[in-house]
Amino acid sequence: MIVVVLAQNTFREVVRDKVLLGTVAFGLALMLLTRLLSPLVLGEDLRLTVDLGLSSVTGFGMLIVVMVGASLVGKEIDRRTIYNLLSRPVARPLYLVGKWMGLCAALWVVALMLGAGLQAILLWIAGTSRLLPVLSGIYMAGLELMVMASLAVLFSALSTPVLSALYTVAFFCAGSWSYDLRLFAAKFPPVLASTIEVVAGILPNLPLFNVRTLAADGLSPPPFHFAFATLYALLYAGCVLSLAAIAFETREFK
Amino acid sequence: MTRSLSGGAPRPDPGRPRVQNATGDPDAAIRARGLSKVYRSQWTLKRTVALADLDLEVRRGEVFGCLGPNGAGKTTTFKILTGLLRATRGAAWIMGVPIGDVASRRPLGFLPEQPYFYDYLTGHEYLAMVGQLSGLQRHDADTRARRWFERVGLGHRPRLMLRKYSKGMLQRLGLAAALLHDPEVVILDEPMSGLDPFGRRDVRELIQEQRASGVTVLFSSHILPDAEMLCDRAALLFGGRVQRVITLGELQKQGIQHVEIRLEGAPILEVPPPWSGRVEREAHGAETVLRVEGADLAQDVLRWVMERGARVLAVEPQRGSLEGLFIAAARQVDASGRDGEDSQRRSA
Repeated sequence: MIVVVLAQNTFREVVRDKVLLGTVAFGLALMLLTRLLSPLVLGEDLRLTVDLGLSSVTGFGMLIVVMVGASLVGKEIDRRTIYNLLSRPVARPLYLVGKWMGLCAALWVVALMLGAGLQAILLWIAGTSRLLPVLSGIYMAGLELMVMASLAVLFSALSTPVLSALYTVAFFCAGSWSYDLRLFAAKFPPVLASTIEVVAGILPNLPLFNVRTLAADGLSPPPFHFAFATLYALLYAGCVLSLAAIAFETREFK
Repeated sequence: MTRSLSGGAPRPDPGRPRVQNATGDPDAAIRARGLSKVYRSQWTLKRTVALADLDLEVRRGEVFGCLGPNGAGKTTTFKILTGLLRATRGAAWIMGVPIGDVASRRPLGFLPEQPYFYDYLTGHEYLAMVGQLSGLQRHDADTRARRWFERVGLGHRPRLMLRKYSKGMLQRLGLAAALLHDPEVVILDEPMSGLDPFGRRDVRELIQEQRASGVTVLFSSHILPDAEMLCDRAALLFGGRVQRVITLGELQKQGIQHVEIRLEGAPILEVPPPWSGRVEREAHGAETVLRVEGADLAQDVLRWVMERGARVLAVEPQRGSLEGLFIAAARQVDASGRDGEDSQRRSA
């Protein structure tokens, strides 16, 4: 109950923020611009639109994670609005989970809105919607954003909004290259290689959620991939939020 | 039933860094024993003592004031009691539940000093939300939010976003948020701050209403006449310690402490040596004010000034006041501080 109330409040906070509206509008505009690039891609304009459209969902979702999510808790501490919440019978871990859930709900709304925009553009360009591949791409992007939102909440609970935004971006970049990092590790002596492997294991495995190329080809990943990605996202976010809860438990509000 | 502020209660183990889980006195609404808070600078490691072995007991149903200058430890005490800060040492209970337990905040309503709110919500949305967080069902929270919104005088602008509220309106909203779930204990940090005289009167009425319905109120204020009007008891805090606890009822029962004699006509440049220390003289233009200790001496002083041809303008008996006690306590703390410094210098 308390988690739902906190999630609702966070959802309102994100949805009523002008950043969200601006991001969605800009995302839709960018998708429309792909139409201008179609003469350059020699008949591959459908592939380009799907690829860029799904990239926009991740990219603009990340923009919201960084601009809103990374300051979600820090802003409450700075503005002292947190006093009104934590002086009530609200356990601190529940507070963090509520924040994360609210942010995730807003991110899903953004992903679905951009996805709907992409479908509309596809219908307009090619008279085909590619419903299943696009939906699978949007679902995976939503899972990816959930993982990144958990990291943003962790950093936001521990540091200032600016640092938290920097850490979130750093983890997003490093997480996107986690496969390459593993390949890179194989070129080093065993001790260093296993250290790099551990680091790569700690980073979020974001390539797992990247099905953009498949979707551009009009394909969807097998059901097992969806199940595994969903489980991974929930487990990873659970671990990150547990860490955040442990650290936040001792935080003081002067 | 003994409800003294010190002694009698088991002291917590000073070695434990966190507030311990022990049974509090069920008769006390709020109880603190040996509460200490020490801050350590991250860079210089310098220690700052915000609270030093603070003992406090607030009885059920009473209005208790925490009075003290800035930095005395009032807000720190409130933040520890509400779980926003952790005590370095000591223990505290709210309605018998240790403050480390989230359940201790169930019967609690809290108004922080200069409350801050979410800009993106309306006042009604905010109240409904905090009502649910305090354990009310959605429908109940919504109904109470509407009622309290009216009660604190904000009902005329239900759809106004909080970013457009004035300071006084926010303070009223904070009070409504602290009270809407019918808490048994209310902690108000500077509830009169930022309010105009009408607002202050409303807050006084709210506190009196709470007392009448058996709610325990602990509040801090810099406005001593307000505290004097509202409190059953008050603690004077200086340097993170309770210097003195005053029962306001007793203060009112006390006899005449001083008599102020205002006169003009003949200049009184000095008082006779036998009265020195018992009669203070102040000159205000053509007027002289003599502050005389006790009513008996006032008779002799009056006779003496009239013999000297002075015209008596007014004779005002002065009873003990909270302000007088506050200033006396502050002077005592100052003097003991100076004594401490002197003895340190001597031993050095």
